[in-house]
Amino acid sequence: MADKINLTIDGVEVQADPGSVIIQAAMDNDLYIPYLCYYPGMKPYGACRMCVVKAEAPTPDGSYRPLPGSPASCTTPISEGMRVETNTDELVSLRKGILDLLISEHPHGCLNCHRIDLCGPTDVCLRHVTVNDRCVTCPKNERCELKDTVRYMEMELTTPLTYNNRHLPLEVKDPYWDMDMNLCIVCARCVRACDEVRGDSAITLKDRSGRSIIGTSQGTSLLESGCEFCGACIDVCPTGALVERDYKWDKAEKKVTSTCPHCPVGCQLSLDVSKRNKIIRAIPERTAEANRGMACYKGKFGLDFVNSRKKIDKPMIRNNGVLEETTWPTALDFISEKLLNYRNGEFALIGSPRGTNEDHYVGQKFGRDVMHSANVDISSNTHPEITKPLGDMTGRRTSTSRIWQLLDTDCVLVVSSNITESQNVVSVPIKQAAANGTKIIVVDQRETELTRYADIWLRPKVDSEIDLIGGFMRTIIDESLEDNEACQSCGEFTEFRNSLWDYDLTDIEATTGVPQDEIRNAARMFANAENASTIYGLETISPQIREHCAKAIVNLALMTGNIDNGPSGIYPMFKGANEQGARDLGACSEYLPNYVATGESAVGMTNLIESLNSGKIKAIEIVGDSPTFDEDQVGDFYKAFKQSELVIAHDNFESALTEIADVVLPSSTFAEKTGTYTNLEGRVHCVNPSIGPSSEADEEWRIFSQIAQRMGASGFEYRNSSDVFVEIQEKVSSYTNLDLDKVKKNGQIMRKENQDFQFAVVTRAEVSGDTTNSEYPIIFAPGRVLQQPDRDAGIDTSSDKNTITRTEIVEINASDASEHGIAEGDNIKLEGQGFSMNGIAHVNGIHKGMAASTSLFGSLVEDLANSGDNDPVLKSDSLRLRKVRIEKI
Amino acid sequence: MTQDKFEELKTEADTYWETRSNGNIPLIRIGTAMCGHAAGAYRVADKLKTVLSERSIEANFDEVGCLGLCYAEPLLDIKKPGSPRVFFNNVTADDIDQIIEGYLINNVLPESNVLGYMGEGEVPESADAMENIPGIALQNRIALRNAGHIAPSNALQYIATGGYSGLYKAVTTMEPSEVIDEVKNSGLRGRGGAAFPTGVKWSFLVGSPGPTKYILCNCEEGDPGAYNDKGILESDPHTLLEGLAIAGYATGASNGIVFIRHGHDGPIDRTEAAITEAYENGLLGENIFGSDFSFDIEVALTGESYVAGEETALMEAVEGKRSMPRFRPPFPAAFGVWGKPSNINNVKSLSYAPEIISKGSEWFSAIGVNQSTGTAIVCLSGDVNKPGLYEVSMGMTLGQVVDDLGGGVSGGRELKLLQTGGPLGGVLGPDSRDIHIDFDEMRSAGAIFGSGGIIVGSEDVCAVDLTRVLVAFCQFESCGKCFPCRLGMEHLLEIVERISNFQSKPGDMDLMRSVGGTMEAGSLCGHGQLGFGPIRSAITHFESDFKSHIEENICPTGSCNRPKIVPKNTRPYANDFATGD
Repeated sequence: MADKINLTIDGVEVQADPGSVIIQAAMDNDLYIPYLCYYPGMKPYGACRMCVVKAEAPTPDGSYRPLPGSPASCTTPISEGMRVETNTDELVSLRKGILDLLISEHPHGCLNCHRIDLCGPTDVCLRHVTVNDRCVTCPKNERCELKDTVRYMEMELTTPLTYNNRHLPLEVKDPYWDMDMNLCIVCARCVRACDEVRGDSAITLKDRSGRSIIGTSQGTSLLESGCEFCGACIDVCPTGALVERDYKWDKAEKKVTSTCPHCPVGCQLSLDVSKRNKIIRAIPERTAEANRGMACYKGKFGLDFVNSRKKIDKPMIRNNGVLEETTWPTALDFISEKLLNYRNGEFALIGSPRGTNEDHYVGQKFGRDVMHSANVDISSNTHPEITKPLGDMTGRRTSTSRIWQLLDTDCVLVVSSNITESQNVVSVPIKQAAANGTKIIVVDQRETELTRYADIWLRPKVDSEIDLIGGFMRTIIDESLEDNEACQSCGEFTEFRNSLWDYDLTDIEATTGVPQDEIRNAARMFANAENASTIYGLETISPQIREHCAKAIVNLALMTGNIDNGPSGIYPMFKGANEQGARDLGACSEYLPNYVATGESAVGMTNLIESLNSGKIKAIEIVGDSPTFDEDQVGDFYKAFKQSELVIAHDNFESALTEIADVVLPSSTFAEKTGTYTNLEGRVHCVNPSIGPSSEADEEWRIFSQIAQRMGASGFEYRNSSDVFVEIQEKVSSYTNLDLDKVKKNGQIMRKENQDFQFAVVTRAEVSGDTTNSEYPIIFAPGRVLQQPDRDAGIDTSSDKNTITRTEIVEINASDASEHGIAEGDNIKLEGQGFSMNGIAHVNGIHKGMAASTSLFGSLVEDLANSGDNDPVLKSDSLRLRKVRIEKI
Repeated sequence: MTQDKFEELKTEADTYWETRSNGNIPLIRIGTAMCGHAAGAYRVADKLKTVLSERSIEANFDEVGCLGLCYAEPLLDIKKPGSPRVFFNNVTADDIDQIIEGYLINNVLPESNVLGYMGEGEVPESADAMENIPGIALQNRIALRNAGHIAPSNALQYIATGGYSGLYKAVTTMEPSEVIDEVKNSGLRGRGGAAFPTGVKWSFLVGSPGPTKYILCNCEEGDPGAYNDKGILESDPHTLLEGLAIAGYATGASNGIVFIRHGHDGPIDRTEAAITEAYENGLLGENIFGSDFSFDIEVALTGESYVAGEETALMEAVEGKRSMPRFRPPFPAAFGVWGKPSNINNVKSLSYAPEIISKGSEWFSAIGVNQSTGTAIVCLSGDVNKPGLYEVSMGMTLGQVVDDLGGGVSGGRELKLLQTGGPLGGVLGPDSRDIHIDFDEMRSAGAIFGSGGIIVGSEDVCAVDLTRVLVAFCQFESCGKCFPCRLGMEHLLEIVERISNFQSKPGDMDLMRSVGGTMEAGSLCGHGQLGFGPIRSAITHFESDFKSHIEENICPTGSCNRPKIVPKNTRPYANDFATGD
């Protein structure tokens, strides 16, 4: 960091970072200059003119040269020795003049109502007929920056300017957000947040002069305008113009910072809790290193499940086929007695990805030490191949660089990962980097949002990714683009290089269906970038080749020296919120704590069904937290569960799982838990209880401890989650460096193990020629993007909710089309197991045997917003490839 | 293009132009700039072509720009072999037969429509020399030297009349720093309104890092009553292209962008045609005149927004964004279009450059007065007998402009006010005849010369009504970014409307001053900072007009009693707001 710059603000000598503007320097030193359009972290805009100051800069001869006029402190860079005055009479009167103008068009009953001193904080004056401009009709009453500023300025509110309400109708037809443009002060923070920070342009300034106002960029609805429903516009809005619709009128009784339970980014959210003990709002923490003030549709609008009244509130035991409520001691006694019969490998424990590290640790300890079973896993661990090869080859168990280091990378390779929906906040630095010239390469059969940012989008045939990546590596070797030093420092380089001779590009062109030149260009782009990063999720890749594919991806990063080196990292994209913690602490079928391999025999998510069906597993305890058991991935769980003799379910809600369970235990949601989550970077965050206990639901670590103690085990005498954390630090080497105070403050990165890097030889897989059976011969790749400006979304605004009405276009191959008698523009139907959709045929150059379609993100959000499900976000459609048949209709 | 090639081109152009303008076939020219177009020049031209073909008369025909005498449009001139150019004013399609039959065939001048002759040769008796018309005699045309004489987009005609020799001289014989020194020495000041020395401005760009640097030419020209930028682009776009290329050479810029307001179709078409011709003749593009200097020019358009003429808003518009001003610093020389170093000049400023380089800075600085060298291009309109586009030496008095050039206030009425420098400028009272056209003198008189528009108001003009129209314009054209301007203009308009509707409230004058003060001190760009200007200068010079509206509910001229036509009211969603009638 360069030297600080010294300046004087209102006589106070302060220091600030070079390149700051005056207002930032003031903020960094806890000095306040009124402002409305400025927002920390966004580029200055200079519209509200509230932050005007008087400034003078020293000249070489020792005198001071005043800056002309009253410069806005948000746009004026600081310089050494500068003297700034922020509160002269002239400036105060200028600010008051501007505020007078501003409140002449902003409803300000909240400021000058004659009842202000009469009303208590909770009074609702709606019966008071003489008041017609009410504070309670503003959803941001007492959270409004304009109101705070007017009060700070001690305005007299006696302006003779005409009050001019805009009388615009509210826009309340789009999901999740309400827009009241009568309260807008046109500071354009929202527009800038959308454009500058998120890289979307869903909202925009429209019209001009006195009429300028915010609107959606397509003019009709957010559903078609490229909105990702991240809520960034709401978070920055200084007034009540943009607000979350749910709990719009509720006031926060307290605020609690916790970690989002929806994905492994681990966004830090400040949760507003109402007096009715509900989470009413989630506002991302601006200073959190994991998310830097960002959130996504899941964290912003998907937490309402914790407020549900349908949560299970008492333990239940099945008696004569009917679940009957009981007490905790009875249920625990019942379980501990039953479990004594299954202590020899017949027991399996499936945790939840939303479990805290404490839950995971105690759970696996119970499973392994008390139940003597290696069969411990978490329900989201359906793709263990994502992280295992990375760990084997490099010793890295998390992403090797941090999320926001992606900002500085020069090239990003995204393989089979739809991060915009699954780990949304990771896409923010990528989109920002792309705007600054970072190259993006996407390898995916599906059209995802990042394909729209991609310089090169390769769409290989299904399961030909190993060949494609091999083609990259062969090109790099052929053209000597590898990082020789990096290659030589890794083990088995010679064997690895020799294995590449099998990857003949002509042949690969045939197996992948991607032209050689495109493969070469992508390889060059990746290899020539000074810092390149790799993101992979293996979402579209069949289980039998996933591990090889991941190895190939890691090889590519190793040979180009793009691993573990600042802004060039490799990011495995798994999905469970605390899946990382589960692996670190041995709560998965592959590893004991400290990544000691468990051996082949352990039962995990990938082989659970066959073990249940074969009778190997006779008793199973599942921490539901309402899991999604994905049928195509791991088969029909519920059918298999019925085979087992004892099913113990921990869950928030009644579900298909609780219907078959013998014992149901009410499980706490993340909002009631105390503990820690580990995110995909290896950053450990706190989970803090935001809503108090509303039922008898309990945390897993305590439940397991109690069962263990009832079964006579020792070592489970934990008083609270901190006791568990202390034990974790003793037992798990990578967590030894953690300091709970630091974790609580802003999260802390766990220690990384050092290990020599190794290449892995990947032989070319047989690209499973015809995986399609005769019934479903086509593989359908569903895509989803934020916006398709070239196609009308067909928004129906006639009812009280905007809806997308268009029919999707389905891309099919010409020979498949002629086989089924389908011509361009025909209406067709796709049908697969538990899936069906209608579309309009578009015959193009897509690979034979494949079909693809791209829908709008808006329609996903529409479905989520209208879903009657208890926790809709958890079950949102993840764009997996499906086997289908097509027919003309 | 190499040096030799330019010599060849010059020879070719000279031969072509000699044959065309002084050959055996008559050359007929008609002014089709905006003034001519509006007066019906194209109807006249169509009729002329029909008559010529019907009668099988062989004649060359050129559409030319504006000679400055807009009041005389459509202006047709015929140059017969061996005769001077004879000008016919206010020609209609019906007059064509008579002019062709009478003059072209029979050499007899019609009784009306004859304005005068220009040049040497056999002179018809009844015609007077054009030099005797004040509108020609008092002009000193530099930037507009070719206007009305040559076909605008025709590179050969331009080269034949000395065009591109300035650029040729600069590129082949001068160092870039010498070019800048020459422009600095000429004393040329920016004609866009701020009157900043052009050479100094260019020098800001010299030190900025390349290779991509932009020179922008601003032809947003949205001021009511200003049409000199458009006039140059319509009458002689090559002058601007040459000036732009000289600026590019001097500053080391790689690209020139001519920014024209969407809807100025004539200037857009003619500039684009001229650019095409310049490229075809190797006058733009790679290695101009065989040197290392390469320069590209393109035209950029914007939506119809007055504020797009503000230099940073213009950059936003060029980038395809909503035209709202940026804050400074960073200044355009460091961070301009697409984040590259940029420099913005007005059309007029750049159009002087070719002649300054050709004839030298001393020649230029000898013209004009004090710190205002060169000429002023005056757009004279309003209550005046002879409105036009006059290029006169700096230092002429406003009285000379109104009375001599303009032929006095129309209808024999008294002069009441002069509105100068665009709507944000100000008004001058009837005692302003002795003020000289001089940037500094005008500013100290409380007005600005600005872009050169002078609107004459007679005794029948109500100061309140005029102010209302100007304020409505400024309000409508606010971009809506910074709060003081967006909201302040709205309230100022409301108050002025109130006064002109005889519904003023006590304290309205003070309220205007206080809102105006906030705007002046607080606004982001010049639009808001100067937005109170029209009101302040009207109050200064015509306080009595305001008083009679406020105190006596009387409009002395009666114009506030008539139905009001105002620009679209853009106050927020107050469509039903009473605006006047």
